[in-house]
Amino acid sequence: MAVQSNTASAAQPAATPIGTWLLPVAAAWVIPGAGHFLLKKNGRGALIFGSVVLMFLFGLFMRGMMFTPEKGVDYLTSLINYGGFICNLAAGALYILSAMFGYNQPDMAGAVHDYGTKFLVTAGLLNILAMVDAWEIATGKKD
Amino acid sequence: MPKINLSHFEAAFLFSVFASVVMGITTKKTNPERVNYGAYCFGCFMLALFGIGWVMRLGHG
Repeated sequence: MAVQSNTASAAQPAATPIGTWLLPVAAAWVIPGAGHFLLKKNGRGALIFGSVVLMFLFGLFMRGMMFTPEKGVDYLTSLINYGGFICNLAAGALYILSAMFGYNQPDMAGAVHDYGTKFLVTAGLLNILAMVDAWEIATGKKD
Repeated sequence: MPKINLSHFEAAFLFSVFASVVMGITTKKTNPERVNYGAYCFGCFMLALFGIGWVMRLGHG
């Protein structure tokens, strides 16, 4: 048993110290693409920054709605509210600044508003992808 | 703050461009793979946009 246990533990890769990836991942959350800039991947960082920021700005200009973490009338509504809030929050400083400057668009009927809401949520989701990518680069799983 | 009114096509096109760029960058390991996958994603978005658009148009009667 002891031999098997040692073999199993030897096969597992060593965990990367948190100090090597925490700063790039945190920077990637606050400013989209910043994690890649810190890791000297400037081209990719610029493309991520441009895509996420433009998507968020288009969402604001289309008067998309920001989700608030509140309980809805049913389980699905609560899930949408909390999930949407997490996605909005994932946009980092873009979300924090827009909230600080008082952006508060109520949910309105209309295709343009609806697209705006989706743009704001997707900007956060794309930033989560960028954070994961920064983590992979920082831990050496990817170039 | 400016307010813009985009058509369905313009909004979906912009969405496709931004999403394809980030998905291409973050999911592949080499630059040619990233470009190919980004273009593939964009093509899929466009195919779905026109395909579902036509299905709705024809289904509406």
